[in-house]
Amino acid sequence: MAPMKGLTVFIADLRKCRSNEEEERRVNKELANIRTKFKDPNLSGYNRKKYVCKLIYMSLLGYDINFGHREAVELISSSKYSEKQIGYLAVSLLLIENDDYARSVLSALRRDMHDPNEWIVCLALNAISNITIQRMAEILTEDIVVQLLSPAASVFTKKKAALCLLRLLRKFPDAVNAQRWAARIVPYLGHRDIGVTLAAASLVTALAQQFPDDTRKAASFAIRRLKSLVVDNEYPTDYVYYKVPAPWLQIKLLRLLQYYPAPESPELRSLLLSILRHIIDISQDVPRELQQMDAQYSILFEAINLGIHLDIDQGLMRECALLLGRFITSRETNVRYLGLETMAHLAAYIDTLEPVKAYQGVIIRSLRDRDVSVRRRALDLLYSMCDVDNARVIVSELLRHMAVSDAALREEMALKVAILTEKFATEYSWYVDVMMRLVSLAGDHMGDEVWHRIVQVILANEELQLYACKISLQTLKAPVCHESAFKVSAYVLGEFGHLIANTPDCAPVDQLKALQAKMGATSQAARAVALTTVGKFINLFPEIKTLCLRVLDRYRSALDAELQQRACEYYALGTVESEDLLPTVFEEMPPFPERQSALMSRLLKREADTEDQRTWVFGGREINRERKLQKPGNVSGGESTEDLDDAAARAQQLSDSDVQNSALLAAGGSGNEQAEAEDAGLTPEEHERVAKSKRHYARLLWESDGILYDGDEIQVGIVAQYKPPAGRIGVFLGNKSTAPICDIQVLVKSDSALAVQQATQDTPGSLLPLAQARLFFDVTCTRVFTTAPTLRVSYTVAGAPTVSELQLPVTMGHFIDPVTIPVGDFFARWKQLGDADIKEAQSVLRTPFLSDAAAVQWLRSVVGGMGFALIQGADPEPDNIVGVGIATTEVGGRFGCLLRVEPKPAHGLTRVTIRATSPDVARVIATNISMVFESR
Amino acid sequence: MTIKYVFLVSRQGKLRLSKWYSTATAKQISKTIKEVSQLVLARKPKQCNFIEHRDTKVVYRKYASLYFIVGVELDDNELLILEFIHRYVECLDRYFGNVCELDLIFHFQKAYFVLDEMVMAGELQESSKRTVLRAIAQQDETETKENAERGWGDINDLVELLDKY
Repeated sequence: MAPMKGLTVFIADLRKCRSNEEEERRVNKELANIRTKFKDPNLSGYNRKKYVCKLIYMSLLGYDINFGHREAVELISSSKYSEKQIGYLAVSLLLIENDDYARSVLSALRRDMHDPNEWIVCLALNAISNITIQRMAEILTEDIVVQLLSPAASVFTKKKAALCLLRLLRKFPDAVNAQRWAARIVPYLGHRDIGVTLAAASLVTALAQQFPDDTRKAASFAIRRLKSLVVDNEYPTDYVYYKVPAPWLQIKLLRLLQYYPAPESPELRSLLLSILRHIIDISQDVPRELQQMDAQYSILFEAINLGIHLDIDQGLMRECALLLGRFITSRETNVRYLGLETMAHLAAYIDTLEPVKAYQGVIIRSLRDRDVSVRRRALDLLYSMCDVDNARVIVSELLRHMAVSDAALREEMALKVAILTEKFATEYSWYVDVMMRLVSLAGDHMGDEVWHRIVQVILANEELQLYACKISLQTLKAPVCHESAFKVSAYVLGEFGHLIANTPDCAPVDQLKALQAKMGATSQAARAVALTTVGKFINLFPEIKTLCLRVLDRYRSALDAELQQRACEYYALGTVESEDLLPTVFEEMPPFPERQSALMSRLLKREADTEDQRTWVFGGREINRERKLQKPGNVSGGESTEDLDDAAARAQQLSDSDVQNSALLAAGGSGNEQAEAEDAGLTPEEHERVAKSKRHYARLLWESDGILYDGDEIQVGIVAQYKPPAGRIGVFLGNKSTAPICDIQVLVKSDSALAVQQATQDTPGSLLPLAQARLFFDVTCTRVFTTAPTLRVSYTVAGAPTVSELQLPVTMGHFIDPVTIPVGDFFARWKQLGDADIKEAQSVLRTPFLSDAAAVQWLRSVVGGMGFALIQGADPEPDNIVGVGIATTEVGGRFGCLLRVEPKPAHGLTRVTIRATSPDVARVIATNISMVFESR
Repeated sequence: MTIKYVFLVSRQGKLRLSKWYSTATAKQISKTIKEVSQLVLARKPKQCNFIEHRDTKVVYRKYASLYFIVGVELDDNELLILEFIHRYVECLDRYFGNVCELDLIFHFQKAYFVLDEMVMAGELQESSKRTVLRAIAQQDETETKENAERGWGDINDLVELLDKY
């Protein structure tokens, strides 16, 4: 040691200070001194080092150090090792974020990385791992890889290079280009030096999750290395830790193997099993020394984790369960804690829970352990091991403990009880009883998810509702009623109160009184729910309407805006003279669409966001199995990262949708409409889309080209040319997505009166992004037809098959040619056709525009576009439009059509009358025109 | 094992060393130190050495008046982290010769350097006591040599001392 006297003296001074004020004075004096010294251009390196050390010490004491950064950077550039070392230490501890300094640190680092002295290189590597910035990853990765792989580098440098790479890889996975060197790291698992192997194992573990293919040999390396440590006892004595050979390396390798599937080669498989067996055998004896016991057991627990993951020897697992059973009764708290934790892992996977259930009593007792950490693990385990058989026991134990457990644990307990009860309930009454007790007990420590979920479940299960009503009323009548219990009860009575209205003591008046009695003492959120219930009561029980209105009336002047609004609105609804308004608004809520419980997502959310991904999750064999199935052969860590992300995203989405949902719940009756819209399966976006495609279609009724469909993935355009009775339709398919569209099939289905034939032979099989394909169809109108043909486009994009069915804008109205007749003839023919009343189609349509001039202009182009010749001056009213056309079919003959459009701007209406020699033709044209008007 | 942080506090709650391996702002760090210290200092002797704090598992062990506290990921192997703490203490003990809190106060930078030889990027780098101590010994030797070259350094120290008394 080479102490710096000035520093020692300073620290001693500070220690002598009797009060905080005295210490602060001393610190301030020193800071002033250092500032002056730093101004001295001839400050020696030694002194600079000393002063920077003092600054570090002061920052440790909690003083805010906001200068000295320049000096720290200068130290880094010094040629002396000890000065560099303090410089790097200061930079990493004082968290220098200024860009200028970061740049000079970076250039110093680059120099040091190439220093001939390996101690300096190591210093730089260590510094990079401490102060990682993106630019470093970009510039220095190459050099670091060289240091790791170079045969000339010492083991001392290699292990630091490996860990430095690991840090860069974790922080900037995209900047380090890991795939290029990943495979070359794997053989280092067999390096003779244990320090290097350990560092490499850490790095490979991270790589295995991203590049399972490049690192697939890692498993066999790891197994052989473990064998030499555990079975063959080959290791330098330096690495024996209290009689246990290299425990850290053993754990690293056992953990690494959990990212790979069980080895396929029989040799490796039996080798691995013999290693596990060996570890379990050693652990049968209880080591006397604490350190040895910890090290030995830590390996055992990791081996059990690996065994569970491999899932190849049930016998071994049963033995593990026995061993764990011994641990959870151990007198060592640490061992109890880990025993419970590992058993929870076992219970989350094992096929039959019997070996774990044997310890149910002990585990339940652990809920009362004097250590909160142990209690938490017991809770996790009980949750993992719960099934239909023991659900009642476990849930009632959890409820019993809830009352006495600490606040930190209570929320999680409440969630878990709610999930287990819902999952394993076999009787409705049990579910309702437990949940009501739960909301009363857990009370404030519980998120809203729980009571929302209860309401959802009750709404979805009719059998539950009567019982739920009874219990709700009881709850309200009880002397004390917790807020959440109040909300559930109020909601349930509002929906289903009528079910018990004829039971003694449950009359509408009783229900309202019970509600009113508790309402005063609850929070505003709860009162809001209660007000909705009162509103619903007006609808359910007209006999107590006056009483209900009186309650609402009182809240009409509530201070809280939400309460006031609800009261006013419900009051108004209750007093308005309308027979069906109230029943419509307060209609029974539809059951909620089935989806993953918000409770589950809440629970899973707790476990996101770690650096190395977890190899398993608590709670439920289903999830773990599913995970296992999801990744075939369990190989790809990379894929499962995605899985996790997906799951997280999904969970996020779900919880988001539940937020909406809870808003719905809170809004009670007024949410009805929205709920119904949801029921119809159409979201607002879908409504929007339907309206849009209607507009596209209508436009093509009078224009010859345009877009027919504009989706997220494809766009369909139409170009049409008619020469009645024939026509040619061009269909344009465009790929709007960023992925290629494949397996395209296009099919037109039409009425027998309309012959459709594809003119171009080849439908292209696939479309690249942004590419377009053209298809032509020849159509011939043989007879009058009334239904437009459909265009069915099916394709696969990004692996998802999709079918779009579109109506083609080909109608009888398209086969009309304009005919010009003398002005005087029009009304003669009009009258002629009008005599046979059946041949007329008339509609009065809302005029969709404001300005008259534009209206007339638009009307003219529509009528002209539809194939009618406009007869100017035929109609005495100058704004009216009359037109003549003739529809031609191939064998059905030709049909004359007369059209008269009478705008009535004063009323905002337009009357359209069509007279034709075929009533069907008249009707089709009328429909077309009204569609055009509607979608304008 | 991925170590998020290591810090040392005395029974009075005084910070003696703090090293963060994950990215965090100064504010987050001081908040974590405060919260975790409170949790740990409140623990009783017979309780286990693990406690959860937010999304971190805290593994701690008390040596005399000093708590060694390590934050790791939730699914890390706790026992081995506990033994890592022990190994660190053993290394310090060997280096200082019967280490006490005062050694770590007056030579805090050395405590950092020993830790740097054992942990990097949050992962254990070296578990061999001999290898760690050899590296530190070499550093000390270099420093002694470099300090001897400083010429006026000692004199400056003397001047500072004279200023004081």
